Amino acid sequence: MQNETAKQQEAGAMVDLPLLEVKGLSVSLGGDQILDDVHLEVAPGSIHALIGPNGAGKTTLIRSLMGGMPHRGTIRFRFRKSGRIGYVPQLLEFDHSVPITVGDFITIMLQDSPIFISGIKKMRPHVQQILAATESDHLIDRLIGGLSGGEIRRVFLAQALAPLPELLLLDEPASNVDEQGALLFEQILLRLKDEHGLTILMVGHDTRMILRLADLVTSVNCRVTFSGAPTELEDAEKMAGLFKTAVLPGERASGGPH
Amino acid sequence: MDWLYEIISGWARAGYLPAIFEHTFMIRGMLAAMIIGPVLGGLGTVVVTKKLSFFTQTIGNASLTGVALGLLFGEPVEGTYAGLYGFCLVVALVMTFVKNRTRLSNDTVIGVVLAQVLGIGIIMLLLVTNQFNIHQVEGVLFGSLITLTDGDLITLGCASLIVTVIFCITYNRTMLVAFNPVLANARGRNPVLLEYLFITLMTTVVVASLKLIGALLVLVLIVVPAAGAQNIVGNLRQFLWVSIALSTISTVSGLFLSALVPVPSGAVIVLTSSILFYATLVMRPLFGRSAVRQGDG
Repeated sequence: MQNETAKQQEAGAMVDLPLLEVKGLSVSLGGDQILDDVHLEVAPGSIHALIGPNGAGKTTLIRSLMGGMPHRGTIRFRFRKSGRIGYVPQLLEFDHSVPITVGDFITIMLQDSPIFISGIKKMRPHVQQILAATESDHLIDRLIGGLSGGEIRRVFLAQALAPLPELLLLDEPASNVDEQGALLFEQILLRLKDEHGLTILMVGHDTRMILRLADLVTSVNCRVTFSGAPTELEDAEKMAGLFKTAVLPGERASGGPH
Repeated sequence: MDWLYEIISGWARAGYLPAIFEHTFMIRGMLAAMIIGPVLGGLGTVVVTKKLSFFTQTIGNASLTGVALGLLFGEPVEGTYAGLYGFCLVVALVMTFVKNRTRLSNDTVIGVVLAQVLGIGIIMLLLVTNQFNIHQVEGVLFGSLITLTDGDLITLGCASLIVTVIFCITYNRTMLVAFNPVLANARGRNPVLLEYLFITLMTTVVVASLKLIGALLVLVLIVVPAAGAQNIVGNLRQFLWVSIALSTISTVSGLFLSALVPVPSGAVIVLTSSILFYATLVMRPLFGRSAVRQGDG
């Protein structure tokens, strides 16, 4: 494994330097080249969208950023505050039968003292506050299996914001969410960016959402196929072209670990 | 341990307990049932969440080979714990390793290993039956109250205590990993390490409870109470306690019934837990879990 990752935290004035800089990132899994020589720069306080066909390596890129994925190339962070990365995973595989409430879910991440002793009683005000950030505090006693797609999204976003990260990684935030839920989710993301200066890198399929939210778009299909402002993507023809040129069309589902 | 048996059989003679408790084997069995019930019920919540039901069954099936190995290496017939625990643990850890390191699905790995341990088990069984009493092996498969010794009880007690302590310390983390491993990893937990740890705990409990419940039936007592609890509970805390309650009622009342009718204790315990499971199904609508509630988006 040639792991040349340099995750550095540099202090000082770096206002114009990207918060995240990826150079020549390559990943292969089981003999398949998933990512090849990917370059990516994410400016601090911006929303950056990552698009591409199914199996193009978007989720692999996100996981490489979090560490734990063998890769070549360099990944460099220029954090100024906590250096924390918040992460909202894809939710395609999800067991709805587990009797876990929203409150339980947040609490087991925050405390090690077993949840079956005191339940969420001790943590309740704190958990409520965490959920309020994504307008989901009223869901605290609901079972996660009974929530709608949009509600689950907001709950998973809430956990990624506690404690507040500097970089937020979102994998397919719009999937399985209805129109109204998607709009609420977008409002929350914009507010996080404006009020907390959060940097957001999100994987997306929904072009309308990307047009409304993103400052910059990078299209990945094993390699980087496009990088620029979302308005340049408005040409529907061009958009369709980017999504069609999958390396292995239909061979990998977006739910897979790539 | 004799002083304890003396006290309890004294209660039975005085009429505080049914007359059957005058027998030492019955007191031993009841103590074992009271220890193993809560532990199996607790572990079951994680087994059901992690979908490890048939994984557990494979460990149970491996025990046959484990016993045979123990006997071949000269362990006494009353307790072949080294062979049993050694082999079951190796099987459990290798299965987890293969699952994590290949693209094979969990289901496939279990199918392959289940077939292997059964094949080896049958051959080993033939080899050892030339030298030993086949009923010893039967006891492992179906549970055998009569063969329960003080040593077994102490082993069970110590194993349960250690497992319970580690289980409590790691419960929140293990549950998060079971619920969403990718997220757990992102939050700094180590899903692989926690999985191996849980597998080890489960193997320990399965092996320690074989004499009471039997290898073929231990799966039921891990899965059924937790599945029953899932039907009626509304949060994680209730999940654990209801599962423990169902499992303990099953072991204790099942053991009691097996003293009245001449059938293996394991079978009666399993039957009791099944009846409780159907009871939770009937009660399900009362607890508002009959339909998935939809939110407002």
